[in-house]
Amino acid sequence: MLLAYSRAFWPLFLHVLGAMTLFGAVLTALVTSLAGLRAATVRILIVALPAWAWTLGCAYWIEHDEGLGSSKATWLGIGHGVLEPGVVVLLAAVLCSWWWSRSGKPLAGRIVAGLSGVYLLLLTVAMLAMSGKWGS
Amino acid sequence: MSTTQWLLMLHIAAAFCFVGGSVAAGILNVLAIRAERPSDSATLLRLIQRVLPVIFVGVAGTLVFGIWLWHELHFSIGAAWIWIALALWAVSGWLGSVGGRHQERARKLAEQLAAAGDASTEELRALLRDPKGTAVSYLAGVATIAILVLMIWRPGS
Repeated sequence: MLLAYSRAFWPLFLHVLGAMTLFGAVLTALVTSLAGLRAATVRILIVALPAWAWTLGCAYWIEHDEGLGSSKATWLGIGHGVLEPGVVVLLAAVLCSWWWSRSGKPLAGRIVAGLSGVYLLLLTVAMLAMSGKWGS
Repeated sequence: MSTTQWLLMLHIAAAFCFVGGSVAAGILNVLAIRAERPSDSATLLRLIQRVLPVIFVGVAGTLVFGIWLWHELHFSIGAAWIWIALALWAVSGWLGSVGGRHQERARKLAEQLAAAGDASTEELRALLRDPKGTAVSYLAGVATIAILVLMIWRPGS
């Protein structure tokens, strides 16, 4: 029975699971950076990178299966607009956390917390847009 | 946006809080187990309390908006996948609270050791790595993922 649902089920399930893991990892990075835990923050943000790649890969899998490649839907545009350029914010947070762990400068820690907070906010907007099918 | 779209958006947002918050608590717990000093373990276990409100919002929101959607989408009152998801929701919450109590015991011991020289003991290591505590946390995670499977699969609907 699971196989019968496999085409529709697996890409969406894996996409949502990846996005939830990414959301949880960025939330953890925000909490640890605000608490001043340098080493933990670097490790957590590095874990967020494969979750980001997983989420994006499964998003393309769904688009391919559902024929959404040329869709101009608002919710899809917001999802792409956050997930793809958003990796720049995530990478900046990873680099700043590495700088913070090496230098111990409080400014670096505040930047990491700010970038993690901004990225969490962006992910929340994308999640709301995609789950509410904004503009459809 | 229609009422259904609003409810679906709020239900999924709550699910993100539930699962994302649980992922955060799990990561902090793993880092606390691996920490060398009791003060680090205590700090990481204390941080779990900061993500608990996110999990609580998710737990309450998934139930409230989920039941509302059940009515709104006219799913059958006998829909087995919804009843199984509700049972898993209760099991996940119960296992999460049992795991949380175990983490609280570990945090209190880690704080005592941190105040008394910050040297780890066999008792703390055993408490942090306790197979029963770990199993309970993993089972709560499995139950949560099983709910996600049912929500996306919706067998029989």
